[in-house]
Amino acid sequence: MSTKTVKSKVIVYAVLSVLAIGMIIPFFWMVLASFKNSNEVFSIPMRILPTVWHFDNYQTIWQKIPLLTFFKNTTKLTVITTIIQVFTSCFAAYGFAKVRFKGRDLLFVIYVTTIAVPWQVYMVPQFALMSKMHLTNSHLGLILMQAFSAFGVFLMRQFMMGIPNELLEAARIDGLSEYGIFARIALPLAKPGIATLIIFTFVNIWNDFMGPMIYLNSTELKTIQLGIRMFISQYGADYALIMAASVCSLIPVLVIFIICQKWFVEGITAGGVKG
Amino acid sequence: MTSSQKKALKTNLIGYSFVVPNFIGYFIFIFIPVCFSFVLSVMKWDGSDAPMQFVGLENFAKLFRDSTFIISLQNTVWYAVFTVPLTLVAALLIAVLLNSKIKGMVAYRTAFFFPYVASLVAVGAVWNMLFQPEFGPINEFLKWIGIANPPKWCASTDWAMWVIIIVSVWKYMGYYMVVYLAALQGISGDLYEAASIDGATGIKKLWYITIPMLTPTTFFVVIMLTIQCFKVFDLIYVMTGGGPGRATNVLVNHIYNAAFVDFKFGYASASALILFAIVLVVTLIQMRGERKFTDFV
Amino acid sequence: MKKRQLTALSMAAVMTAVSLAGCGGSEPAATEAPAAGGNTATEAPAADGGAASGEKVKLTVSVWDNSSSPQFQCIADAFMEKNPDVDVELLDTQADEYNNKVTVMLAGGDTDPDVIMVKDADTQAGMQQKNQLLDLTDYIAKDGIDLSLYNGAAEQLQIDGKQYTLPFRRDWYMLFYNKDLFDAAGVEYPSDDMTWDEFEALAKQMTSGEGSAKVYGSHNHTWMAMVANWAIQDGKNTLLAEDYSFLKPYYEQALRMQDEGVVQSYANLKTGSIHYISVFEQQQCAMIPMGSWFVATLLQDKKDGKFDFNWGVTKIPHPEGVAAGSTVGSVTPIAINAKTDVPDVAWEFVKFATSEEGAEILADNSVFPAISSDAVIDKLASIEGYPEDGKSALEVKNFVFDRPLDAKMPSVRKVIEEEHDLIMIGEEDIDTGIANMNQRAKEAMEE
Repeated sequence: MSTKTVKSKVIVYAVLSVLAIGMIIPFFWMVLASFKNSNEVFSIPMRILPTVWHFDNYQTIWQKIPLLTFFKNTTKLTVITTIIQVFTSCFAAYGFAKVRFKGRDLLFVIYVTTIAVPWQVYMVPQFALMSKMHLTNSHLGLILMQAFSAFGVFLMRQFMMGIPNELLEAARIDGLSEYGIFARIALPLAKPGIATLIIFTFVNIWNDFMGPMIYLNSTELKTIQLGIRMFISQYGADYALIMAASVCSLIPVLVIFIICQKWFVEGITAGGVKG
Repeated sequence: MTSSQKKALKTNLIGYSFVVPNFIGYFIFIFIPVCFSFVLSVMKWDGSDAPMQFVGLENFAKLFRDSTFIISLQNTVWYAVFTVPLTLVAALLIAVLLNSKIKGMVAYRTAFFFPYVASLVAVGAVWNMLFQPEFGPINEFLKWIGIANPPKWCASTDWAMWVIIIVSVWKYMGYYMVVYLAALQGISGDLYEAASIDGATGIKKLWYITIPMLTPTTFFVVIMLTIQCFKVFDLIYVMTGGGPGRATNVLVNHIYNAAFVDFKFGYASASALILFAIVLVVTLIQMRGERKFTDFV
Repeated sequence: MKKRQLTALSMAAVMTAVSLAGCGGSEPAATEAPAAGGNTATEAPAADGGAASGEKVKLTVSVWDNSSSPQFQCIADAFMEKNPDVDVELLDTQADEYNNKVTVMLAGGDTDPDVIMVKDADTQAGMQQKNQLLDLTDYIAKDGIDLSLYNGAAEQLQIDGKQYTLPFRRDWYMLFYNKDLFDAAGVEYPSDDMTWDEFEALAKQMTSGEGSAKVYGSHNHTWMAMVANWAIQDGKNTLLAEDYSFLKPYYEQALRMQDEGVVQSYANLKTGSIHYISVFEQQQCAMIPMGSWFVATLLQDKKDGKFDFNWGVTKIPHPEGVAAGSTVGSVTPIAINAKTDVPDVAWEFVKFATSEEGAEILADNSVFPAISSDAVIDKLASIEGYPEDGKSALEVKNFVFDRPLDAKMPSVRKVIEEEHDLIMIGEEDIDTGIANMNQRAKEAMEE
């Protein structure tokens, strides 16, 4: 390797490292602040490490607000919504991609018309509809409004389209029913797509703020995002505790993210290239 | 019934059985509300049992007399005008650096991408503290490097939007970086080799090969970012609540307030349709462009 | 509507089936989905059956910041004790989002909440206009409620001669102070007859220290009330005005105190969403003008060991030429949702909460009830932990409503508060801010 390429490599590493550290500084600061005494968070001159490590902050937050309930609720909403989303999307996607039935194009056009409509555009009539159906202030309502999306069907359809028809024909000749083909051939082959859909749905629902904010009223139904919001407004100056609660809310996503990063990247790549 | 008719019927039924579970949910909870929003936009309705009143285009006329709506539209455009290019340049730059066959690529990618999956509420809380005008670390740092009067960030009408822009770029850059990375890996190495033989330097290669080859991706990224910018709300709600005054009030703030604070559902829907119109125009541009780029590639 | 409900339920069933059939491994989801569906299923018959069934009747009451104030829980507990067949559930929302949340819940047309605690009395007019409130006039006549107990507050709440709400609490502004800080500085405690200028001078005197050890002389929370209330204390103006220039001297004072570092800067408090409770309890300020609801919080927190200094309370300062003991305050009304499925139970709850018995329970918990009989005042003053020299704060000579109970008030309030924000962070000078208030309030009123 020539000295010139070595030099440029060093520069690349240096620039990337500086930028990467800049990116994670907020998280770093969040974690350190979560171990401080609240007065110390903004002490002047700035202190980076806590003088005394207050591990008890992580105990206190569970007593101040029903954080455990919030975690349970969020987990429940996330898991159920993701399961419904993934299964019904895969089903529908297979139908659209591989079964020639009457009215298929019409039904698909109905999906197409709304793909470009942001949720913010129809959230008002959706709320009116949900409240007429008495589905506000319930987890069921939130699940129903988030579990079906044109996006999920589109994404899965892309993957299903990629499955060669010859493969399915061969299975049909072998006497496999359409459902058998779906379960034994299509689903396994669409695994990367499923993984992507699971991860994106999971993260979106876990982090969702506006939906629960509009729909949920009872404390015992609230999600972790609302919980932290509530914590901030009630204990506004307890910076350390706010940070501790925030760290807790980030951990599940961080774990999922680190385990499944590959699928995230593949999902974005698939979505990005194909549009 | 002939056997072929029977077979067709069976196929139809099988097809429906696959599609129906999702379709029913989608139809009730997404499609009907979408259609309903057009109806609502020409109605006056407070969401109660009282019947709606048809008011024609009055809601739209009112929008353009409402100074808060005009301001929120301006703010949204302002936000998009800066967020889109900044995010794009940052994402492209980092993707190019990451693509130069370096060790530990995954670790770097994790650092750049994590903000994208972190929850806005937590992230908003920490950035609010970092940007705290009097004792916040960012202003402490600025004072330390000799800026005597650092901006008051979220407490200043001139700077609050910049805080939102900075945090947005930070949060969303990782996503587009991954998009660019995928595209970069698709560029054939032969091109670069040929350029090297011609004596092109790194910067030249970037300018004359990489960036032109990435045009379809860049186009896609611009479109996605623009749409995303017009939908911004959560971050603003969490960090500034639209303030100070109306300095960070954006389009979705306006829809939200009209609907869930003032309970003017019709008016809110009219405002929402303006958002839709903007997104639609952007999407149509994308569709045209995509055709062009697929022809081109 | 029935049809839609049916669709919803069958949808739930379909989906449960789908998730069961589709995924044997997902036990938690499969078991939880029917539970979620079950909630609505059990609610539906209750809506039809009303209170008649043998099961406990569920009564939902919307409240705010339940964890930091005992006011709602104590009434709910006492009511459930008297009515063992009723189960009261409090729907809690944080104070700053409460009004929005209530509007959302009511507009949903849901039967919940059955009972509404109206945080800001001026919002009741809007609810009444949308027919969201149950008319209590007949109930009041039937049960022979004596409205004179409320010292005129009940009449003030009437709309077109009808009573949609009854007053639950009545609060007014007082001046709280940290006795330990005054003792340490060797300064006499604030008197119960101070003008705002004298108060400013005292606050200046009590300011000391630097950086994170700084003690501010006083504390102005970010509410517009912390400026505007003193401007209307004389009763000559209200916040529903054509010309807001009467606010000017009070803005000048608030900004001056902020610039001189006598109070924490508004920008700081706002961006940090800093709660006044922690500022006072962490001894960052010597005095704080605040509503009487703060008494209960202080008593409770001191008992819980959250702070251990001595606090005092006295009459709020007054403008030059206005008698001491004139104060600004508000009434917290209770209303019943017009859509409630259990109107009679809801009325029983409202009746109990606003009765003399309810008032005494509130007073026992150091909350200021709407009925301020001598017994109630004595109870408040003799609560363990209430400062012995604080009785004068409980005597009110003249009570001005902080905002007129007008249907236009909430929308006017929104725009003038935005201008307040800009004045206080120094983005607008006072004259511009007031000119904008005049202009925008006019637009909001014409709507």
